[in-house]
Amino acid sequence: MSEAIRESRLKKTLSTLGRGAVYIVMGLFAFMTLYPIFWLIMNSFKTTREFQVSQLALPRAATLQNYVEAWKMGEFGLLFPNSIIYTLGATAGIIFLSLMAGFAFAKLKSKATKPIYNSFIIGILLTTQTLMIPLFLEVNLLGIYNTRLAVLLVYIGAGLPIGIYLSTEYIKAIPSAVVESARIDGAGFFKILLKIIIPMSVPVATTLAMLNITNTWNEFALINILVSKTELKSLPLGIYKFSGSLSTDYGKQFAALTIGMVPMLVFYVIFRKQITKGVAAGAIKG
Amino acid sequence: MKKGFFVLLALAVAFGSVVAQEKVTLNVLNYQQADQAGYQEDVAIWQKFQQQNPDITLNIEVLFNEPYHQKLQAYAAAGTLPDVFYVWPTARSAVIHEKKLAKDLSKLLGADFLKDFSGAATNPNNQLGKYMAMLPQSFTYTSVMYVNKKLLADNGFDLPKTYDDLKKMVPKLKAKGINVIMLPNKDGWPMQSCLFSTVLGRMAGDSFVDAILAGKAKFTDKPFIDALKVIDNLYKDGIIAREDNQVGYGEAPGLFVSGKAAIYIDGDWRVGAYITDKASGKALISPAAQQSDFVLLPFPAISGEVNPGVLSAIAGTGWAISGSIPAGSAKEKAAVRLIKYLYSDEVQAIRYSTGAYVPTRKNVKANVEPLVAKVPVFYADNPKTCYVFDGMFDPAVYNVLNDGLIAIGLGTSTPEKVAADVQKAYETWKASQK
Repeated sequence: MSEAIRESRLKKTLSTLGRGAVYIVMGLFAFMTLYPIFWLIMNSFKTTREFQVSQLALPRAATLQNYVEAWKMGEFGLLFPNSIIYTLGATAGIIFLSLMAGFAFAKLKSKATKPIYNSFIIGILLTTQTLMIPLFLEVNLLGIYNTRLAVLLVYIGAGLPIGIYLSTEYIKAIPSAVVESARIDGAGFFKILLKIIIPMSVPVATTLAMLNITNTWNEFALINILVSKTELKSLPLGIYKFSGSLSTDYGKQFAALTIGMVPMLVFYVIFRKQITKGVAAGAIKG
Repeated sequence: MKKGFFVLLALAVAFGSVVAQEKVTLNVLNYQQADQAGYQEDVAIWQKFQQQNPDITLNIEVLFNEPYHQKLQAYAAAGTLPDVFYVWPTARSAVIHEKKLAKDLSKLLGADFLKDFSGAATNPNNQLGKYMAMLPQSFTYTSVMYVNKKLLADNGFDLPKTYDDLKKMVPKLKAKGINVIMLPNKDGWPMQSCLFSTVLGRMAGDSFVDAILAGKAKFTDKPFIDALKVIDNLYKDGIIAREDNQVGYGEAPGLFVSGKAAIYIDGDWRVGAYITDKASGKALISPAAQQSDFVLLPFPAISGEVNPGVLSAIAGTGWAISGSIPAGSAKEKAAVRLIKYLYSDEVQAIRYSTGAYVPTRKNVKANVEPLVAKVPVFYADNPKTCYVFDGMFDPAVYNVLNDGLIAIGLGTSTPEKVAADVQKAYETWKASQK
C-alpha cells in the first residue's frame, strides 16, 4: 500500500516537474516572440539620439512626434486604404477560386484533371524573384501597369497554387456521396459548390485567409514593380522608405514599422480563436 | 499688305502661345530615403521645380536601396525606362551603361554648362560605358578617419601619423573601455569599401588592380596578401575591436559620438549623420564641437606601403536621361531643363549644406556646418586617390572579399586563405562571362 502511495506521489511530482518544464520552455518562446515587438514599440517613442545611446532602456521622455512625421513622410494616409483593398480583394479572390478549382479537381475528374492540377501546383516551386520581370513585361503588354487590377490579378495568381493544393486535398475528404446525392436531386455544380462545398470547407478557407491576409499585407517585391503611382502603393512600400543601409532616423523607422504591424496584431487578437481552430482543422483534414 | 502682315503676326503669336502652353509630362525615378538627413530639402527641391515650370508635369516615383535597382532593372528589361532617373557610374547600374540606355549628356548639356564641373566628373572614362551616361554629382572619398581630437588630447595623444601611433594608443584607451578605431562591419561592405580599398591602394596600387583585370596578376600575389595582412594586424594589435563585426552600419555614429571610440572610419558622405538635422533641429555633434573637437584625417602611413597617402575614391551618383526620348522633342528639352536645374548652383548648394556630398560643380557656396566645411579641405589635402574595390569588380567577387574580411576580423580565416577564395571567385566569374 505504502509502495503504491509512494509511486503515486512520485508520479505526481514528476508530472508537476514536467508541467513546470513545459511552462518554462513555452514561456521562453513566448518571451522570444513578444520581446522584439515590445522593443520595437518602446523604441518608436524615443528620439534617434536617445535610441543610439540607450537601446534597451524605457524612453526617458516618450514622444509621439515620430508617428506624426512617419505618417506624413510615408504618406500612410494614402497607402493604408490600398493595403486594405489589396488584402481583402486578393484574399477573397484566392479563397473563392481555390475552392472552386479544388472542387473540380477533387470531385469532377476527367483526363485533363491531372495535367491542369499539376500545372497549378508547380507554381508553389516558383520564387517571387523569378517572376518579377516576366510579370512586369506581362502587365505592360496587357496595358494594366499602374492599376489596382494588375496588383489584384497578380496577388490572386500568386496565391492560387498553395490555395488550390490545400483546397483540393481538403475537399477530397468530403464524401463523394454528398455530391452525388445533390446531383441526383437535380443540383448543378455551381449550386453544389455554393450550398455544399463552401459551407463544408470553412476550416480550410480560414487557413487560406490567415495565410493570405498576412502575406498580402506584408507583400513588397511584386507591388514594387507593378505600380509607380503613390496613390496605388501599399503600406510596405511606405515603410520601406524608412529603411536603408545609410539609415539615420531610427525613431521614425520604428514608428513606421509599428504602424504597419499594428493592424496584423489587431487582426490576430480579434480572430485568434478562429485562426487556431482553422489551422487545427485544416491540418487534420487536409 | 500691312494688314496681311499683322494677321500673320497675330496668328504666329497665338500659335506660339499655344505651343508654349503645351504641357510635357516627365516620368522620374528618384532615389530617396525618408529618414535620411536632407529629406525635407530634397522634397522642397522637387516642389520648387514644379512651381517654376508649370509647363512640365513631373510623375515622380520614389524608391531606395535594392528595390530601386530591381525596379530600374525591370524598366530596362521592358524598355520602359522613366524619362529621368538616378544612376551609378559603375557596375551597380551596369545595364544602363552597357546597353547605352541613357543619352550622352556631354552632347545634351553642352560644353558651356559642363565647364563648371570638375574634370573627374566630366571624364567619360570614369563611367562603365565610357560615355557620359550620367553626370556625377560628387566625387566621393570612401575612406575618411573621423577623429575625436579632444578625446585623444585628454588622454595625452597627438593626431596619428603612422600605424605605430595607432598601436601606441591601444593599452591606455583599452583600459578605459575605448576602442582606438571603430569600423562597423556587420553589413560586410564597410571594411572593404572604407578601409581595405585604401590599404590595397597603398600596398599595391591601381596598377596591380589593372594587372589583375588584364590577367597579368592574381589575388594570391604578395601585394594583395600584404594588404590583407594589414587588416589582420589591425585586429590582432587591438586597434580595431573584433566585436565591430557585429556592429551595424547605422548604429556606429551614435556609439562613436558617445565616446566608445577615438576614431571612426567611414566615407565622406557620413558627415551628414553628425550635423544638425533640419527637421528635428538636433545634431549628433554640435556645430561648436564639430569645429573644436573633431578633425578629418587620412588613414596614417603603413609600413611597406608603395603609394603613400593615397585614398580610395570614386565618381558618385547622378542623373541620366532615357535614350528612348526622341531627339529634339519637347520631352527631351524638358528633361534637359530638369537636369540643368538639378545640377544648378542653387540645388547643389542645398545638397552641400545638408552634408549629402561635396558637389562636383565648382565654386558652390553654401552655409555649411564646420564638419561639412572640412570635407573639401580634406580633398585638397589628400589629392592622390586609388580605386574602390567594389567599383572595379563584380559582386560575385567583392562579396567573397567582404565575407573574407569579416572572417579575418573574427579571427576565423587567414589573409592567404581569403586571397585564394577571392581568386577562385574571380576565376569562376570570369569563366561565366565567356
